[in-house]
Amino acid sequence: MSLRNLRPVVSAVPGASHLRIAVLAAVSVLMAPGSMTCGYTAELPIRIGAPLPLTGALSPEGVKLQQGYELWKDTVNATGGIAVGTVKRPIEIVYYDYQSATPKAVQLAEKLATDDKVDFMFSPFGSGASKAASTVSERYGIPTLAPTASSSEVYDQGYKNLFGTFTSNDTLSEPMADIVKAKAPNAKRVAILARNDLYPLALGQEFEKSSKKRGLEVVYFEKYAINTLDHASALTEIKAAKPDWIIATGYINDMILIRKQMADLGIKAQIVTMINAPAYQEFIDATGPLADNVTSATWWHPAVRYESKDAFGSSAKYTEMFQKKFNALPDFTNATGSSVGVVLQMAIEQAGSVDRDKVRETLAKGGFDTFFGPLSFNSVGQAVSYVPPVFQIQKGKPVVIYPDVIKGGELQLGVR
Amino acid sequence: MLYLQILINGILLGGLYACIAVGFSLVWGVLNVINILHGSFIVLGAYLAFFAYTGLGVHPYLFAPIAALPLFILGYAVQLVVINKVIEAPVLVTMTATFGLTLLLDNLMLVAFQANFRKVSLSPPLGIIDLSDTFPALDLIVPVDRLASMLFALLFVGLLYLLLRRTAVGRAIVAVRMDRYAATLMGVNTEKVFAVTFALGAALAGAAGALLSPIFPISPLAGTAYLGKAFVICVLGGLGSVSGALVGGLVLGILESFGALFFGPEHSLTLSFTVLILFLLVRPNGIMGKRGFV
Repeated sequence: MSLRNLRPVVSAVPGASHLRIAVLAAVSVLMAPGSMTCGYTAELPIRIGAPLPLTGALSPEGVKLQQGYELWKDTVNATGGIAVGTVKRPIEIVYYDYQSATPKAVQLAEKLATDDKVDFMFSPFGSGASKAASTVSERYGIPTLAPTASSSEVYDQGYKNLFGTFTSNDTLSEPMADIVKAKAPNAKRVAILARNDLYPLALGQEFEKSSKKRGLEVVYFEKYAINTLDHASALTEIKAAKPDWIIATGYINDMILIRKQMADLGIKAQIVTMINAPAYQEFIDATGPLADNVTSATWWHPAVRYESKDAFGSSAKYTEMFQKKFNALPDFTNATGSSVGVVLQMAIEQAGSVDRDKVRETLAKGGFDTFFGPLSFNSVGQAVSYVPPVFQIQKGKPVVIYPDVIKGGELQLGVR
Repeated sequence: MLYLQILINGILLGGLYACIAVGFSLVWGVLNVINILHGSFIVLGAYLAFFAYTGLGVHPYLFAPIAALPLFILGYAVQLVVINKVIEAPVLVTMTATFGLTLLLDNLMLVAFQANFRKVSLSPPLGIIDLSDTFPALDLIVPVDRLASMLFALLFVGLLYLLLRRTAVGRAIVAVRMDRYAATLMGVNTEKVFAVTFALGAALAGAAGALLSPIFPISPLAGTAYLGKAFVICVLGGLGSVSGALVGGLVLGILESFGALFFGPEHSLTLSFTVLILFLLVRPNGIMGKRGFV
């Protein structure tokens, strides 16, 4: 831990005496032998601001993102840091917990820009907060990587500093609809239940479009409020509408409850698609056998196989390193946390500088081969360069069913 | 048939809501303390049940009375050490004190249990009762775990009712609820009654948590949602009475279910809070009014 890490803490103590600062400085020097042995103390670190929802409703996702950042940082720092021209500079990430409150995320982004004077930033979690905080990075001209912003509305402000590694929501709905059309030709009726929240709702609407485009009839489309404790009424209506394909969007707590209540009401369908939760092991643990045959799509999965020119070398190696550090399989949120790190690193290394204008230009050029997939951004900064995999939980395990190159099985019909 | 199914859903949900609210109502009614900790106590009970089930294989329904015990002790301690010091202060002070304790408990749970969502997934699952199997004309479904949770909740509420009516401690609680100064004059040790009541409220929350653990996802920060429901239920049903919590819970459950049907699921929460405001304006004592505790 360096003194810089302590700076936000010190400034947060009202009336901190000089003595206390001196003691903290002494302690931090004593606690920093690790960084000294690595031999990069001579170079100033590259500082990245990262507001995260470490407490509050989004804390599971916040913690996952942080794990992704940390794995990248530790991996790179172990080799001396990011190569900027001829020198290696270590990475330092300045974290703040915005307690799952978007306005607070914006305040903290402002603090990171003005008070901590970070070189670059990572966006807060989710489309809504990323969009809100992107205004701050734009104002101060700080190139900012968004790990979890998929809704195209995030990128519609003409900002030059925002780059997101998630492809747009329709890249999740389109392949899924194709598969349904091909493998379940009898499926005609679609029911969609979407959380009334920027990303899940936008995703629900994409599924509606993708269904209609293929001549499927959307027999039910409703939104449910954030913090809903009961979905029985909506699901009773869905049951009455006799859909063949049921789509539910939201976050893991919503999906656990909806899946459970579907079973409570004896709802059966040929296909049940839920996004985001099934990509997380917790969903499978919490729903048990009910998880079987639920399909989902996600931007990354441990089953993908990309060779890369980044700090990790390939998707397989990334998975291995993550498992070694955290004793668990990485999911897409962990991976996207690391992905923004490697993209930023590659941009700095290619630019040969931490000059924000040069890094921004290099980011905009794209062409980064990462373990997360090949990453290039469109004119508004959203990734457009890879195909997110579709998968299905089969006998308690996620099996990739699309794209063909990494497929581990076929779509199984019937969810009960 | 759709309406009948929605009514069944509403009644089952209402039963769960009553189970969430009854301890909160008891504490608010007797101590005049708005116990913000209540939601977190429920979550703690749910975690205990989760670990008892996954670790020891104890069924949550059997575990509910066991979960009540540590929560009773915790509640007693909290009341003795913190609440009693500020019990004479205006209601805002006790509310703030319990709010502070909630932040503490929630974050301790966050550290201890991590932020992952979990759920007791009963194996084998209790399944559903499909009424059309016996009566082909009735295409209605009753989920057994919700029904069982509701019945167990009613059992606990019934036990509370008996405790308040038939035991010396219970009668002391009711006496303090009606007029604490008169009760003191009659020789009731109000401090002790307060501590026991608060502990009972916590115990009911713990039992409720265990009963809800197979139904709702468990996370360290789920308490706020339960607390919000408990508030509305108390205002709807009438504060500080067992029957009020029951009626309030059922009314809210049915209201939300039909609200979601008629106005769309995104408005069911809005509807319940609109009704809350209407009740505060028109009938602030709730459906059951404000009489003696039972």
